[in-house]
Amino acid sequence: MAESVKRMPIIDCDVHNRFKDGKMTALWPYLPRAYQEDVREWGINLSGVGYLNGGDRGYRGDSWPKEGFPGSDLDLMREQLLDAFNVRYAILLGQELRPLGTLPNADYAAALAHAYNDHLIEQWLAAESRLRGAMLIATQDVPQAVKEIERIGRHPGIVEVLVANGARLPYGNRCYHPLFEICEAHGLPFALHTGSEGAGINGQPSVAGYGSYYVENRQVRPQGYMTHLTSLIFEGVFEKFPKLRVVFIEGGYAWLAPFLWRLDADWRGLRHQTPWVKRPPSEYVWEHVRFTSQPLEEPDQPADLLEVFKWNRAGRTLMFASDYAHWDFDSPTDAFPRLSEELQRRIFYETARELYGFPVAASAAEQTVTAD
Amino acid sequence: MPRHVVGTLSELPPGSRRIVTVGGRSIGVFNIRGRFYALRNRCPHQGAPLCQGRIKGTTLPGRPYEYVYGRDEEIIQCPWHGWEFEIATGRTYFNPHRMRVKTYDVTVERGAAAEEDVTLETFEMTTEGDLVVLRA
Repeated sequence: MAESVKRMPIIDCDVHNRFKDGKMTALWPYLPRAYQEDVREWGINLSGVGYLNGGDRGYRGDSWPKEGFPGSDLDLMREQLLDAFNVRYAILLGQELRPLGTLPNADYAAALAHAYNDHLIEQWLAAESRLRGAMLIATQDVPQAVKEIERIGRHPGIVEVLVANGARLPYGNRCYHPLFEICEAHGLPFALHTGSEGAGINGQPSVAGYGSYYVENRQVRPQGYMTHLTSLIFEGVFEKFPKLRVVFIEGGYAWLAPFLWRLDADWRGLRHQTPWVKRPPSEYVWEHVRFTSQPLEEPDQPADLLEVFKWNRAGRTLMFASDYAHWDFDSPTDAFPRLSEELQRRIFYETARELYGFPVAASAAEQTVTAD
Repeated sequence: MPRHVVGTLSELPPGSRRIVTVGGRSIGVFNIRGRFYALRNRCPHQGAPLCQGRIKGTTLPGRPYEYVYGRDEEIIQCPWHGWEFEIATGRTYFNPHRMRVKTYDVTVERGAAAEEDVTLETFEMTTEGDLVVLRA
């Protein structure tokens, strides 16, 4: 496994870029003066819940550059990720501002998204041809978020629209449908990244509120994703927006098939309550929804994952992600059990290439040949 | 086991570590309170550079809601996923019988430096001439 992955180019669907000083000054050129003044006085003011994290302050202990924060130094990112693992495309998902959906002030949140997106394009995407970016939106005011997608969504480096798992309502809710309309029109997947569960103005992280420890907080990710996925299906989002694609990032994968078995079974008897859901729920997932791999489940017998991959149609639904430079980084060469060549090619390259519309010319198979 | 000179004793005081490459393997050599240990610098989980991790104690298993910190400096924590290993044995704290990293013998050879064929490119000689020697 390890050696064969090393020989092929891969696509990494979850990479975190940070501001160099960990503060907001990198955004000054892109943030209106009034907000700059607020930030100077009050700080970023984004809410967390107050859980601990893992690793070295949340990051791989070996990912801290000489100055600044992990993910802020492009040269180190090249050395530890892009060059080390032959990454053809890495999708940047940001870091500090991903919780902007927690803010009560919708206009401030929208301004932060706007500033971050410009920063991303000018400071990151322009600097390295292997990087692509997820644009942030603030869902507090959907019309402003739509305008932001109109403003920046056609930039060739922007490949998806990103929100957090933590939310005020399940994402299938009709209040969000204008987002799906514009995402579909621009061919941009709507992506969820784990985070912000129970933070700020968001709903509680679980039906029973808050667990005491960080390890408990990590387990609300699949719960949230199940909620959003069910909502998207039963609110008819994939019927209304047949070209929409949704990506669930960093919220687990092995839960998928057993969950879909339940949904399909329930749908048979309850279909009449939501008659616009014309197909078994699982069919919408196979067609419209993709999942990223990290943190990959780790069964006692690693090969047991192959059974799960079969249930989950991994060749169609699973895309590799490392989560660099976070501490729970998955190594492209060591996180997976041995895969067939075809499945490896799908998970590490082709499914993401198709989803994000990267050129066929850079296909894994062709580059493998030239690399040899 | 071939013998490899890691450095002189004075270069590796208590609390220090040195990562060396021996026969294509990266190995971390540690001086913990005056005793030497060596571990393979590759985490058995996902291949991270384990020996770059934090040297620490840890919270000992106890009753619910009880925090007792102990084993100071006896544990190294993998810099990626946080697995804890006993430096002395290479065994993981969470599953010492099944999951471990390879250990190697390290000895201090008293006064050996004087007789050593001086191919010690990077190692400075010290007056006492004691050598830290790894067998791997």
